[in-house]
Amino acid sequence: MREVSYFAPTEVGEAVKLLAQHGEKAAVLAGGTDLVAQLNYYEIKPSALVYLGGLDLDYVREEGGKLVIGAGTTIAHLLTDDLIAQKFSVLAEAAATHGSPAIRTKATIGGNLGTASPAGDMIPALMVMDADLVLASSKGQRTVPIQEFFTGPGETVRTAEELILEIHVPLLKGKAVFKKLGRRKAQVCSIVSTAVRLEMDGGVCKDARIVLGSMAPTPLRCSKAEAMLKGKAVDAALVAECAAQAVAESTPIDDQRATAWYRAKAGTALVARALAEVAGI
Amino acid sequence: MKQILSFILNGSPVDVIVTPTETLLDVLREKLGVTGPKRGCDDGDCGTCTVLLDGEPVRSCLTIALTVAGREVLTVEGLSTDGDLHPLQKAFHEHGAFQCGFCTPGMLMSAKALLDHNPTPSRTEIREYMSGNLCRCGSYEEIIEAIQVVAAGEYAPSGGKE
Amino acid sequence: MTEYVGKAMPRYDGIGQVKGQTKFVDDFVLPGMLYAKALRSPVHRGLIRGIDFTAAKNTPGVVGVVTADDIPGAKRFGACGDQPVLADEFTAYLGEEIALVVAVDEDTCMEGIEKIKLDIEEQQPVFDMFEAMKPDAPLVRPDLKSNLWDYGSGMTTRVMYIGDVEQGFAEADLIVEGRYQTGEQDHSAMEPMVSVAYFDEAERLVIHTHSQCLYFQLGQLAAIFNLPMSRIRYVGGVVGGGFGGKNHIHADHLAGLAAIKFKRPVKYRYSRREDLLYSTKRGVFILEYKTGIKKDGRLTANHIKLWHDSGAYGGFSPYGVEKCSMFASGPYHIPNTRIDGQCVLTNKAGSSSMRGFTIMNGQFPMEMQMSKIADTIGMDPWELRFINAWRDGDIGASRYVVRGAGALEAMRGAAEVHGIELPEHLLAMSSRGR
Repeated sequence: MREVSYFAPTEVGEAVKLLAQHGEKAAVLAGGTDLVAQLNYYEIKPSALVYLGGLDLDYVREEGGKLVIGAGTTIAHLLTDDLIAQKFSVLAEAAATHGSPAIRTKATIGGNLGTASPAGDMIPALMVMDADLVLASSKGQRTVPIQEFFTGPGETVRTAEELILEIHVPLLKGKAVFKKLGRRKAQVCSIVSTAVRLEMDGGVCKDARIVLGSMAPTPLRCSKAEAMLKGKAVDAALVAECAAQAVAESTPIDDQRATAWYRAKAGTALVARALAEVAGI
Repeated sequence: MKQILSFILNGSPVDVIVTPTETLLDVLREKLGVTGPKRGCDDGDCGTCTVLLDGEPVRSCLTIALTVAGREVLTVEGLSTDGDLHPLQKAFHEHGAFQCGFCTPGMLMSAKALLDHNPTPSRTEIREYMSGNLCRCGSYEEIIEAIQVVAAGEYAPSGGKE
Repeated sequence: MTEYVGKAMPRYDGIGQVKGQTKFVDDFVLPGMLYAKALRSPVHRGLIRGIDFTAAKNTPGVVGVVTADDIPGAKRFGACGDQPVLADEFTAYLGEEIALVVAVDEDTCMEGIEKIKLDIEEQQPVFDMFEAMKPDAPLVRPDLKSNLWDYGSGMTTRVMYIGDVEQGFAEADLIVEGRYQTGEQDHSAMEPMVSVAYFDEAERLVIHTHSQCLYFQLGQLAAIFNLPMSRIRYVGGVVGGGFGGKNHIHADHLAGLAAIKFKRPVKYRYSRREDLLYSTKRGVFILEYKTGIKKDGRLTANHIKLWHDSGAYGGFSPYGVEKCSMFASGPYHIPNTRIDGQCVLTNKAGSSSMRGFTIMNGQFPMEMQMSKIADTIGMDPWELRFINAWRDGDIGASRYVVRGAGALEAMRGAAEVHGIELPEHLLAMSSRGR
């Protein structure tokens, strides 16, 4: 029998105190769709499980010109939330591709960030909106731009004593889309995914974000490709050039889902498709 | 550390001693004798362990048992009422919506959740909603057909939704 | 009885299935039941120098271990009888079972397994069939003389032939060659490998099995347990998908051994990952074709060389080679046909039967070859197939005389389904004669 303690705090203060006590030996349990599989296969051996389900972190609100998303918001909730549909539809697009219904009812947006998979479905959409993550510990809170959050596959700047509390999303202008390619259409980890956001003024691009998933050790913002678009009239030729540049910034690998060669080919097509769609060409 | 877990299982309160790493699937199958939900992958991929938690489909293999304290769990065993088969059970049986039957308990629970949310799903909606339940024998067509006939009201007893 | 003919009837076991009451093997949870998990080989090929179970046995909740020394009877099993029940001298594939830890639950089994000190000498493995066939290749197992399967008396090539292919090539206007490969495939039945074993009130060993073929396996189990078959109640009939993967014994022998040693009910269950990694697979086939053709499309000769990757043990693979050979020349009348089949051992989990056994592994390449021939001679691929399709009375390399041939009629049906209009002279052909 495994010697593990279980805690289900009902207040954030209580939760961060537990994390401070147990540090690296605590596993933070939200929806459990990643964590429990790891427990089932003995890949992790925590001495404490801290369940966040009692913290009431499942909410989406608009505050001070930003969307505030509780880290415990389920993917299923994101799919049906009116605010998300109206103001951050690219996140709902990503949510629709995540797992399958019985995964989405439990998986949380905070969990998707914390797991920090390069294939994390929700991450590119948050990155094109320059989201900020609010981390809480017993010492207080800090805000980390999502750009700086990921340090490697499964690795982030979050310390063992911190939990992801909220995601703050500025309501940036422009149109954004998310595209994902997997081995099948549903319940699948992406071979490559992309989110792009373009703010257009007439046919000219004022601001751009291009993010690739599953193409580097972390979800990747392709800043050189973005720079190619700014101030330019966006046409099919520029889209193709820009998509190629985005993929050139990535470092895809061979794995069980696809080869690096295929990822590069498919990634270029996916980014081009996404850019063309938001640019309306 | 063992703890007592209390929850509502198929409409009746149950108490059971569990450990923190035991999943709802472990507890149902190994401790409560509720073996309808099957263990197919322990990884959330196959869907045969699907149960309804407060009416929503979840993977019981990815659900830590202690997190269902005080909540309502419905398994395939709780689908039929007073000995009458649920319309989905009748339709699956009569339309041959399985071969080996190992995926059936999970399929039925996902199908129930679908029809509870959307009583008249299109074929595409059925395919999308059922995408997390795998059937290696390949009875997908019959499964879709069974759900469609239930949605069309073919098996509804007179006077009630179910 | 005639009222049932032509009607879809609900399954006799359907009500149990839709109510979740059908008892699959893993659904048996018995009072006092123990669980077993295997210490698996951490290397693809190794020599076992020693195993220290002390710490594992001292783990609270561990009831004991089972090793090859605990086997009352035959130490080897499988369709060819060459696979160790538990490895004691060597391991020949990654994940091969070496010993069992038996405990009150699976968590404790895993804890015990982690504490086993296994001293194993890692050796150079060989994974590729053509590497394995080289004279200086490492032997997959120390008990082999060669990595080629010995069909008896040193015969490593299974030959099937009719006529004389050299003469057939001499008669041909053209020769087309092709090389084709089919890959590995897992059965991925929804129900992973599992077994429950216990002694009943009459001291018979009861085994709940998901076997697809109880009578292939009962004899093997009786030999391993050194029990007469009458002392084993081998209970099957509910299979959570097999697809050929449950023709090989994966769990029954190990659950049974643990039940014999500890006289308590024991469940031995593969996780999905173990099932994917270590259960038997459809093995790789590589086929090389050399086919002689007349300009009018008649096939005069077909010489096929085929190799089948058996993994570390024979299993059904030597038979699979024969089965593949019987169909590798397709449903075509070729007077001079020869198939040379070889079964090659490599340091991988054993391959075995899967859906249609190994037949389509021969049919697929032959059809590829037919399309290649049609392209080469510039003939419509339907015409090429119609001209050469078996008619009643034809005889193939397996020396079966064809009766009730139906390839032409099947092709006509396929064309109709796909809206392809075939020319009159093809539609006029019949399998009843040439």
